[in-house]
Amino acid sequence: MTQINLDELSHLQAINKKLVTGYHISEQDTVMWQELDQQIDAYRALFSALGHDLQHDSRGFYYFASDESTPNMGKISRAIALTIYILIEHYANSGKDPMRALFDEVSDLELMQTLVQMNKHLFDQLEIFSGSDLRKDVYLRMVRLGLSREVETGFMLQAPIYRYIDALMEVNEETYIGEDE
Amino acid sequence: MIPAKKLLNTLTEHWGMLELLFKRFKMADFSLKDVQNAIKQKQPTWSNERIYKETNRLLNQDIIIPLAKSSQLEINRAIADFATFLLQEEHLGLAQEITVLVDDLARLGDRLDNAGSIEDYDEMRRFSRIMDDRVRKIMKLFAHNENAILNIVEQAKANNAVQSLQKRYQAVIEAFDEYIEPMLEMVDIRGSFHACFNTIESQISSQIESIERSGKAYQDKRMLERLRTRILEMHLVGRESLRKSADMLMPLREELRRNNMITRQAAKVLGLVRKNGVDNMLTAVQPNFVSDTQRFSLGQQRHIIAYMAALAEFEHSEYELPDQQDVPSFVTPNIPDYHNVKANFKKRFNSKRKKPQPLLTFLGESYPGLEADEMLFLYQKLVSDSEIEISQSDEKMRVKIAGQHFSLFPFNTKPIDSKPVVSPHTGNE
Repeated sequence: MTQINLDELSHLQAINKKLVTGYHISEQDTVMWQELDQQIDAYRALFSALGHDLQHDSRGFYYFASDESTPNMGKISRAIALTIYILIEHYANSGKDPMRALFDEVSDLELMQTLVQMNKHLFDQLEIFSGSDLRKDVYLRMVRLGLSREVETGFMLQAPIYRYIDALMEVNEETYIGEDE
Repeated sequence: MIPAKKLLNTLTEHWGMLELLFKRFKMADFSLKDVQNAIKQKQPTWSNERIYKETNRLLNQDIIIPLAKSSQLEINRAIADFATFLLQEEHLGLAQEITVLVDDLARLGDRLDNAGSIEDYDEMRRFSRIMDDRVRKIMKLFAHNENAILNIVEQAKANNAVQSLQKRYQAVIEAFDEYIEPMLEMVDIRGSFHACFNTIESQISSQIESIERSGKAYQDKRMLERLRTRILEMHLVGRESLRKSADMLMPLREELRRNNMITRQAAKVLGLVRKNGVDNMLTAVQPNFVSDTQRFSLGQQRHIIAYMAALAEFEHSEYELPDQQDVPSFVTPNIPDYHNVKANFKKRFNSKRKKPQPLLTFLGESYPGLEADEMLFLYQKLVSDSEIEISQSDEKMRVKIAGQHFSLFPFNTKPIDSKPVVSPHTGNE
């Protein structure tokens, strides 16, 4: 039985507010991350009693696991997935180390425009027609989910992106949902 | 021959410049001008004349030597090696270097054993010294290579992301394939290295034993013991160093392999997505997010409209119509026919009209089996019947009919010469 001393969980409110909206708390959110790190048992017990599944990923982030998304959230998630995979391909094509570039390079509006132009028919399916659409529909949402942070010249991706990399490795012909299903 | 102390002094004085040259040109050649520029950079206050003199001093002391058949210069190889050692800028050696030394060690071990068996202690001492030297060399190589690998790892990690991964990790892969793997094979418990050391160790041990037994050349015993310890230590150090090197390189190799895999997979997935559509391909694997705000809040206008539409049709719970058998069956009121009542009434009150008679008393006496509401129904009928002459009393009365109490201004049969007033005033208790 874990003893939970609420007085010690001084950032419970902020952490809860972030996590229930799907936000990923990573090391960049220093204060919250540190508290979660130190009081992980208490938080895990508390949240699981509230029906949430608090997950700690060893690559440095915390989030609530969920088996399903709301339809709207699902669409956002697919848009993010597509953007990440296109980014990886883009970096690899330009001769960079994709994983390093993914986390080290700043995504600016110019890059977004290039991505959308080069993959027009893919982004069309998600109703993203321009670089600024991509910024608004994908990057700003990623910020809200804690997947990226806004910097002076654009956006930097953060560790929770690994969830998409994991998902990438899972894709194969069998995950295809045919029209008849 | 240049005195060592003089050389060391010059080195100390010009170390900054030498380090600069060494780092800038690595092992390549440079011109006299480069040397002078380097001195000037380190000592901006020096005059040109002084710089010229110092350059000559470096040349005279063979710290910098001219290349054959060229005006280019290079750092003296011995000094360069010393500098690499000092700066830990070592380059990875070959696994073969160590192999050759180990083979030599095995050969020397045999010769030492032979010398021991024919009791040629001078020879034994000589071989022991050479072996000692070889062991030191091997240990130095281990340390050197470990440093070199550390450098390789650091460089690979720090290199610009703009470079392709393949290029960046080329050194890592080479180090792994050409040094770590053969070395690991060698120090493997079943490998040649191990067998060789076992042999040497047993040879030396037997020599020590025979010295102890014979009592001859007793001072050589210590030397042999030291050699044995050193060889054992070398083996240990070698294994340790290799393990450390492998630990440093492994993650990078894994990273490279993983990165290649990710790139390939991304290309493959995008291909599938192009063919099958985004939603079909990615829905099954997309990471899901908790989104309580979306789930529990009404964000957009259409949500609110839908919510209000739902409110309009709100039913707290399903409305259930009663079943047939739950309804009590209709019972016709047990009221006697009014005409009979009226006839009865007239018959009774026509004869004696002297005193007003309360209507209710008559009804109560005539029909004791009636319910209160039925009784009142008849009372109402009689009161409003214009054929019957009745009058209302001015005093309020409390009457009890069929178990119910009523207070009312009762109607009575009309006595002679009184006017009828039609306004019944009944009140249930």
